[in-house]
Amino acid sequence: MALAELTLSAGEAALVNAFPPTEAGEAARARLAAVGLPNRRVEAFKWTDLRAILASGIPEADGSAGLIPTCLQDALVLDFAPDGFGLEGEKDQGLIIETEDSLELEGAGPLALVAAGFAPRAVVLRVTQSQSRPVVLRRHPGAPMRVRLELEAGTRLTLIDTALATAGLSTGFVEIEIGADAELLRYSLQDGAANAIDLAHTTVSVAETGRYHAIALMFGGKLARAETEVVLAGEAASCLIHGAYLLSGSTHADMTTRVVHASPNGQTRELFKGAVQDRARGVFQGKILVERAAQKTDARQNHHALMLSEGAEIDAKPELEIYADDVQCAHGNTIGALDDQALFYMRQRGIPEAQAKALLVEAFVTDVFDAIDHDGVRDWFSDLARAWLEASSS
Amino acid sequence: MLNINNLQVEVGGTPIIKGLTLQVPAGQVHAIMGPNGAGKSTLSYALTGRDGYEVVGGTATLNGEDLLDLAPEERAARGLFLSFQYPLEIPGVPTLTFLRTALNAQRKARGEAEVSVPDFMKLSREVAKKLGVTPEMMKRPLNVGFSGGEKKRMEIYQMALLDPRFMILDETDSGLDIDALKVVAEGVNALRGPDKGMLVITHYQRLLDHIKPDRVHVLAGGRIVDSGGPELALALEADGYDRYKDAA
Repeated sequence: MALAELTLSAGEAALVNAFPPTEAGEAARARLAAVGLPNRRVEAFKWTDLRAILASGIPEADGSAGLIPTCLQDALVLDFAPDGFGLEGEKDQGLIIETEDSLELEGAGPLALVAAGFAPRAVVLRVTQSQSRPVVLRRHPGAPMRVRLELEAGTRLTLIDTALATAGLSTGFVEIEIGADAELLRYSLQDGAANAIDLAHTTVSVAETGRYHAIALMFGGKLARAETEVVLAGEAASCLIHGAYLLSGSTHADMTTRVVHASPNGQTRELFKGAVQDRARGVFQGKILVERAAQKTDARQNHHALMLSEGAEIDAKPELEIYADDVQCAHGNTIGALDDQALFYMRQRGIPEAQAKALLVEAFVTDVFDAIDHDGVRDWFSDLARAWLEASSS
Repeated sequence: MLNINNLQVEVGGTPIIKGLTLQVPAGQVHAIMGPNGAGKSTLSYALTGRDGYEVVGGTATLNGEDLLDLAPEERAARGLFLSFQYPLEIPGVPTLTFLRTALNAQRKARGEAEVSVPDFMKLSREVAKKLGVTPEMMKRPLNVGFSGGEKKRMEIYQMALLDPRFMILDETDSGLDIDALKVVAEGVNALRGPDKGMLVITHYQRLLDHIKPDRVHVLAGGRIVDSGGPELALALEADGYDRYKDAA
């Protein structure tokens, strides 16, 4: 222990003890003991200080995993609980589910390392034929999740993942491989309360003409961070990453994405919208890296956020890094307040102020959900957003 | 109906309306004319309660009820409507959703039952037809991508649908060609009634050829400096506002 002088916080010590004796658990333990959790002096965590948030220990898990909405009654549900993993619902042909005690873990960042280390084993899903039933990954309060998902060439899957704990530390590490011309449609929902910490890391590799579509809705928690790393490895691979965050109270949500265009003719569409009020904090970090080989890349990134209260905070870091010379890349980033004139106009027509604000915020945010290719899930997310608006404006 | 007495309004600490007194009885249409900067729009915003238009003195009542202490939406629910000089675009909010929300919010505030979706659709279609508002316009987000003329027509459409008791039309003629002006004026005239009142604010006389006022007032320097019948508007058209320079 060359770096034995590092003093671990209560949370770091608790994590070190919680990691099971797996390969990933040992790797995470060694790393944490050596360098600790990243704090705000680490560039990628400057607005989301993991060390500070876990300084006093890991909050005790509480709450439920949440109900599966009726629009997903036909789904296959994979439950990740603190004491293990379970399956619910029917499985179609062409979906193979296995568990693995030790999967490789190369070049993982801090979140992936913690999530992988925490999970006693990985669940591996192999899609060999397109699936008509959606698959739901449901994280229970205090539960670790590690999933490896492989879509064979030409297959299609709809994946929903939820993390709805009201307290505790939940983690998720999802590795996705999308084969040639395969398509993953993914919808993520995170909702937490003042004592919920949710750390999720996703890596995606997309082969030629494959597609990764991901739309996320986050309500934050004590801290919720969703990291996504996509590599468009094959020619004409594409990704669409949309996210909405609606934060109130003292919640914190962080959407961090990195998309690497490694081959020609790839396409990226990113749209993130947020509305933050009270003393909540929203973080958006989005990087698009276009490698020299990735000519004819077409990438667009947009992040737009509304500050609904004086004490709210929104931190945004959009980044484009381009090494190819024949590309179309654009990004836009705005942070503002609701339009007073529009608000007065609506009130002059008789709409009470709170309702007018809710309508304006809803209109602002919901185009993030337009890309959802599942009517039930789109309505579900829209209803959740509306319920948040109604609750926060009353 | 509308009773304004010695109203004084400041914007950013600068006095704009400096003691304005005006009565519009039920069943009448009054026009307010005046040069640019006379305070015409300030008057309409102060009456409807826009932030930043601070009433520092005087009173304004509608049917005996004090307006100035009410929130904008409460004034709207009591039947006060402002047709904006520059109607706002509300991206993402479909026109019909907006209107049904507004109508039901007003009804709720008055203790009336909400209008059901089918009833609302029927009502909105009937009114739309009269004003040349197309189904396409009603499906789009409110005023988004509308021409100036379409926006003004949409204002009158909203006015007809919400059926207010007292209407303020702020420069409704601006941006309208003569055909659109006729359509809008017809729509406005259809809303005149024995228990309703209107204040038509305009810089030019031409709107008053189509919406005939009972009285014409000249607003200059934050006060009413002259009042008369419709013939006053014609005199202003001929002579301009120069003769009121000193009166202000």
